[in-house]
Amino acid sequence: MRLWKSWLVTQKDLSVIRRNKYVFYSLIAMPIILGVILPATFVFALNAEVSALPHNQFVVAANQLVSTSTMYLVLIAAILPSILASYSFVGEKVEKSLEPLLATPTTDGELLLGKSLAAFVPCLAVTYIAAAISATILDVWSITRVGYFLVPDLFWFLAILVLTPLTCLMSVEANVIVSSKVNDIRAAQQLGGLVVLPIIALVLVVVLGAQLSVLLATLTSIILVIVDIALFYLSRETFQREEILTKWK
Amino acid sequence: MIDTENLTRKFGNLTAVDNVSLHVEEGEVFGFLGPNGAGKTTTVRMLCCLIGKTSGQASVGGFSVDNEDDCLKIRKIVGFLPENVGLYDSLSAYRNLDFYGKLYEVPDGKRNESIERLLKLLGIWDRREDAVGMFSKGTKQKIAIARALIHEPKVLFLDEPTANLDPEAAKTVRDFILDLKKEKRTIFLNTHNLDEAERLCDRIAILKGKLVAVDSPKNLERSLYNRKTIVHLDSVSDQVLAAVKSIGSIKNVRTSDNKLVLDIDDPERDNPEVVKAIVQAGGNIQYVTELRSTLEEVYLKLIREAKVQ
Repeated sequence: MRLWKSWLVTQKDLSVIRRNKYVFYSLIAMPIILGVILPATFVFALNAEVSALPHNQFVVAANQLVSTSTMYLVLIAAILPSILASYSFVGEKVEKSLEPLLATPTTDGELLLGKSLAAFVPCLAVTYIAAAISATILDVWSITRVGYFLVPDLFWFLAILVLTPLTCLMSVEANVIVSSKVNDIRAAQQLGGLVVLPIIALVLVVVLGAQLSVLLATLTSIILVIVDIALFYLSRETFQREEILTKWK
Repeated sequence: MIDTENLTRKFGNLTAVDNVSLHVEEGEVFGFLGPNGAGKTTTVRMLCCLIGKTSGQASVGGFSVDNEDDCLKIRKIVGFLPENVGLYDSLSAYRNLDFYGKLYEVPDGKRNESIERLLKLLGIWDRREDAVGMFSKGTKQKIAIARALIHEPKVLFLDEPTANLDPEAAKTVRDFILDLKKEKRTIFLNTHNLDEAERLCDRIAILKGKLVAVDSPKNLERSLYNRKTIVHLDSVSDQVLAAVKSIGSIKNVRTSDNKLVLDIDDPERDNPEVVKAIVQAGGNIQYVTELRSTLEEVYLKLIREAKVQ
């Protein structure tokens, strides 16, 4: 595996993505809404309650705010690849540019890695930027109101450093598989978007009041590792020259 | 440079390419003619290691299509122009070529030189920074050809290079292929266009799943139909007709108005004798022409025969 070849493919895909305004704005809008505006709104709402709530209840509410905000970040990592990966793979189908690409002295693995990185890297980068802004908002508020930093704690680290990349990877791999079955970018995004349903369910559970413990986050991570490995083999099976040219519709 | 032995590819119950054996010499322009679904693209894809074969043997530049390591070597020495140009519309012409140059492992300096040389040759250098999406179909096709040549491949596979182009753009592409022919590059040309095949190719294979015929365009034209000599006279008399019919090498004589239409095996050898006989019989010759069967006639006849079989 020649990583420089994969990186060439990634760079090319990133150039194409950068020139697509719809994708570029989606890439920015999603973290701003889920990673910045929503936590800021929650902070604003909770701020009004500070004087009314007893201290112990306030701390519970503040922790709930951290869990919810963090899960939104995981949600971003699940949604963004469905936008980018669908362009990366189905976009090549639409432009009919896969055949000349496959004719180059590049292996299937190098191409798959390059195209997967093109979806994975910007999504994770944008999610981390949103995480940094979200953490700053929460900490600026918490240090002035409750006298200590709410984040990062162990759960936050686990969610950002483990859950987020695993979710992002799952979404990218699922989109490779979806890309082999559809011809239309929007269809790819919609089908790829189904991947986020379990994550949305998890976010809903948290929003409805459940505390995500470190243990639960660890268990979720283990499940995601298993799912990622299974999807990796499935996506490799799907992303083979012959399959692409004869079966990708 | 290209060898296949009973090369076969099946898709389920459908045999797309059936026991194709051929040999293409280095520096040869080899035309692959056949109707839609004849297996032309499938053959090229197998030779470029894009898809596998069901049975038989194939090699390009001495490397076997069976072996994954050899396939990487084949892809290095092969340039491929697919039926759909497949360029990145949002990237510039230069960026498209640069990307492929890097993938083909062309060193930096040489890559820049090649891009400049090719784009200047094709008259696109001044628009090198324009996004490809802004170009006409013909210009895109030229860029795609430049892409196939960026690493100076020994073998060039061109799949319908002038399909969907207007006559002017098609001529530019054909002229460019003629220039490549002068460089002694091996070119494997898939085409529907018989005129194009006749003008560009040293040899032509006619494919309909199976290989129907392989030969030079001239030999193909000669092999299926007799060559005909047409003698225009001021009038065709019985004496002239009798004199011509008495020549043993003439297979068939037909008259049409003031013309004699003669089926002759070897006009270069027999025409002087014909002219002499007509003059001696009192005929007054206005001019002598040759009527050849066209490649189109040969192609249609062979394809019809293949369908019947």
